[in-house]
Amino acid sequence: MTVLARLKNLAARSPWLYRINAGSCNGCDVELATTALIPRYDVERLGIQYCGSPRHADIVLITGPLTKHVLEAATRIYAEIPDPKVTVAVGVCPISGGIYRESYAVCAPIDQYFPVDVNIPGCPPRPPAIIEGVAKALEIWRQRL
Amino acid sequence: MANSYAILIAVLLFPGGLFALALGLTLKGADRRVAARLQGRVGPPLTQPFFDIVKLGFKRTMVPDTASETVFLAAPLVGTASMLLAVALIPIAGVYNPDPQIGNLLVLLYLLAIPGVALMIAGSASGSPYGAIGFSREMALMLAYEGPIVLVVIAVALRTGLAEGHFPTFSLAEIVHYQQAHGAFVLDPVMWPAAAAFAFFYPANLGIVPFDIPEAETEVLEGPLLEYSGPALALFKIMSALKAVVVLSLGVALFMPLPLTGGVGLAAWVGQQLVLVLIGVTAVRVSRGRMRIDQAFVFFLKWPLLLSAASLAVAAYYTAGGAL
Repeated sequence: MTVLARLKNLAARSPWLYRINAGSCNGCDVELATTALIPRYDVERLGIQYCGSPRHADIVLITGPLTKHVLEAATRIYAEIPDPKVTVAVGVCPISGGIYRESYAVCAPIDQYFPVDVNIPGCPPRPPAIIEGVAKALEIWRQRL
Repeated sequence: MANSYAILIAVLLFPGGLFALALGLTLKGADRRVAARLQGRVGPPLTQPFFDIVKLGFKRTMVPDTASETVFLAAPLVGTASMLLAVALIPIAGVYNPDPQIGNLLVLLYLLAIPGVALMIAGSASGSPYGAIGFSREMALMLAYEGPIVLVVIAVALRTGLAEGHFPTFSLAEIVHYQQAHGAFVLDPVMWPAAAAFAFFYPANLGIVPFDIPEAETEVLEGPLLEYSGPALALFKIMSALKAVVVLSLGVALFMPLPLTGGVGLAAWVGQQLVLVLIGVTAVRVSRGRMRIDQAFVFFLKWPLLLSAASLAVAAYYTAGGAL
């Protein structure tokens, strides 16, 4: 293995997560907070940290059906995240709109606007599902480094 | 010429540069791991801060449109450079003596203020409102803690100078030698208040709970660091790791150098730093909340200032008249 590949393997052990709430009902966000905060799951052992600034982020978690009102803000924040990055859609809303499907006010599915790499379906998804989704995102991220 | 090579090695390899960086990051990792254990979690590996730095090296540095680009990118460089030099100024008891040509305790005081100034410049140059809030908070906090630390340093200088029978000495090597011969100042009741004041200075200077007000993550989203990404952010992380080593080893040199030499002395020095971090930082950080900036300001102008002034007054009294 070359030195660069070794360094990339080390780098992949430090994913920082950023959450974008694109008009979610907060159900998925509560699950994300639960996953992050309770000692039972302790995501910090994988080097995962939630960060408050999009500029520090590696993996983006998007929740919600992407309402028309939030579309521009979400696109701008997404552009502020430095490459390489991986996009994870959390919950069923980003996939189909969930309970908001057929609403005039939502832009779901969100992969029309963001290149989604991993979908974590569920309404809301349970913490183990979220951790599994982030683990898949990590694999993709390691290849993008 | 040989002399300047020695200085270069001291700044870049040992005890500055690589050695101090490795030590600082390991201390940070130990802090995170023990904090996780205290909260009933497994915690990240000891080497997690290394992974973070490597990761940031692979990311892109983005400069915001509203930022002043040159200043924005220069601030982390200036801060890191000052800390590299500062580590080389501090003696390790029985292991390393800084070249008196590089500077003394007074130079060190100025160097210690530069990372704070770099953070202030970074916050204001980023053009972000959160950065501006971080800037004003950092400035207020610096005004509060710089006074006590100067008094602490003068008290130690007076105490050593007095015992050696001349004016205050600002040579750290001399201060360390005196304590190695006559017992550490941490055992001397006259210096207890100064040591306590230094204990409060440490978390404030490093931006650790309860004094992490300028970089409060849940309030101002890391304030000055908000707009930084990639290698520039990594430089700030390196700067704070070096700063941890500088402030810790300054505390050890001022108050508790051990009369040991060689490998044992070095191991003991590292051990002292680890114990100080775990007691003075980790235990406090998991059991205390963040202060507001006005509370911290009043706190520093009350207790640490009083304590350091008390030590200084007693030391000055003996210098003027009586014997110790």
